[in-house]
Amino acid sequence: MLEARDVTIKYDERVAVANVSLRLAAGEITAIIGPNGAGKSTLLRALNGQVRRSSGAVLLDGEPIEKLSRRAIGRRIAVVAQEAELRFPVTVLEFVLGGRFAWASNAGWGWETEKDLSVAGAVLRETELTDLSGRLMNELSGGERQRAVLARALATEAAHLLLDEPTANLDLSHQSTLLSLVRNRCDQHQAAALVVTHDINLAAQFADQIVLMKHGQVLDAGPPQAVLTPELLREVFEITVLVDAHPVTSAPRVTPVHGRRS
Amino acid sequence: MTTRVTLRRTLIACSALTLALVAAIVAMSLLGSEPLPARASLCAIFSAGTSPCGLSRDQYDILFQLRLPRILLAAAVGGSLATAGASYQALLRNPLAEPYLLGVSNGAAVGTMVALVFFGTLEWSRPVLAFGGALIATLAVYQLARGRAGTTPERLILAGVIVTTFLSSVIVFVTTLMDATRIRSFNFWLLGDLSGPTHTLLPIVIAISVVGTVALTLNARSLNLLMLGERDAFDLGVEVGRVRILVFVVASLLVGSSVAASGSVGYVGLVVPHLVRLSLGSDNRISIPAAALGGALFVIVADTVARTVIAPRELPVGAITALIGAPLFIYLLKRV
Repeated sequence: MLEARDVTIKYDERVAVANVSLRLAAGEITAIIGPNGAGKSTLLRALNGQVRRSSGAVLLDGEPIEKLSRRAIGRRIAVVAQEAELRFPVTVLEFVLGGRFAWASNAGWGWETEKDLSVAGAVLRETELTDLSGRLMNELSGGERQRAVLARALATEAAHLLLDEPTANLDLSHQSTLLSLVRNRCDQHQAAALVVTHDINLAAQFADQIVLMKHGQVLDAGPPQAVLTPELLREVFEITVLVDAHPVTSAPRVTPVHGRRS
Repeated sequence: MTTRVTLRRTLIACSALTLALVAAIVAMSLLGSEPLPARASLCAIFSAGTSPCGLSRDQYDILFQLRLPRILLAAAVGGSLATAGASYQALLRNPLAEPYLLGVSNGAAVGTMVALVFFGTLEWSRPVLAFGGALIATLAVYQLARGRAGTTPERLILAGVIVTTFLSSVIVFVTTLMDATRIRSFNFWLLGDLSGPTHTLLPIVIAISVVGTVALTLNARSLNLLMLGERDAFDLGVEVGRVRILVFVVASLLVGSSVAASGSVGYVGLVVPHLVRLSLGSDNRISIPAAALGGALFVIVADTVARTVIAPRELPVGAITALIGAPLFIYLLKRV
């Protein structure tokens, strides 16, 4: 289990995250939403041990994260971020096998084991990339590429997935495919996922819990129906919204009422 | 499966390159301003110098005292520089990173010159100070190149240019402290020159090239992930800080020992890793050892051209490697 306790992160004197506590439950998707600069991505990076905390604790399966080696963390937490520009030719399979690094008996050298290859094969099938496995990453479309990034995260077999705006720049169908894959992982492997997103409606559809953040603080957290209210959303985004039920899924549906800033 | 294919490809490529390297060492030892008889020379080489096999005293000395040591030095220098280049490129995510272009070679050159001026009699002080100079130059370039938005290839090259020009001024300054008779041979050495007397340094340069290549190859999987991005590598379990320090220190050792023995042979670290990746792919488990062997081969051939093309006069080997490397750099810059 991955847990943040009273985490505060300061950059010089600016407080990016203030006293945030958060617990990722197995089998659940938690979505963090909030305006730009609310501290969402910083919190996600702190959960992975990358951003230094000013105070508070991050516990991975009960242990303080700074006590664990990077490889031990890499086997238990996988991150999907906006991928960096690739400057060297790498095939999709090589890229996905990168997710097996933390499992290698010798981290620096050695070849992938049969287990590594079978895991990679399985996630390639899961993400429907098997036919593209020999292609170069640079030759893929944006949607295929982001699927490969997710495939690499799934190949780590980590029980915790941290996704930082995974659907940014993806078209509607790819957005839905990507989050369905995350949903499957949570349902079938009891993984816990944290998704930072700007897409409130996508969060409402896929998330079990929604955390609303502003100015580094958590304003509210809970199931979508409880959190996605016009009052709270107005407080967070400073804009008037209409919230009704999605006619098909009955999840909350948020529509901004343009021109009516509050 | 893929792994087996990759492993087999590594073994085939490295075996082929090793054979080519041995063949080049033998063949190039026959060429020069004084051609040696092939059969007698081969016989002498394969008897490890125990029998002259009909070579005259002069021929025997040319082969064992001049050519073979020089060719072995060329191999060690080429292997070191290509390995250093390949690992800088992976670590810095930049196909243009190269010891000479980053100013690391110039850092080592300043170290070597300081050793020559102040500790002229202590030969071992040269590689030690060259290593120090290379390491300081590496850290300076790295710090300069890191902007708020990370390191872009262009920013890194600009940082390299700045460090290189600054160190060039230091070199000019130190040169003025030398007596006039040594300045000419010095300028030749600066351009990359394998003709100097290096008998004591040769075993050191060879040992460092082998140990350094092995050390970096043992971290090839980490480098594979660093090549995709520092943050990705961190997320996937790479101890980024440790690998970065290892690459900086080992590459500085490789460049330092090479420069101490042969000056700044440029572009080897650019040309060779590029050709290796083009033919064998980007996996550092293959490309680092293959670059080491390929670099050795490349500098042996370049040095043979340098010492035969206008024989009995010689060109600095750095002039030959730059003639090949500079156009390739322009081509790569257009593609990055």
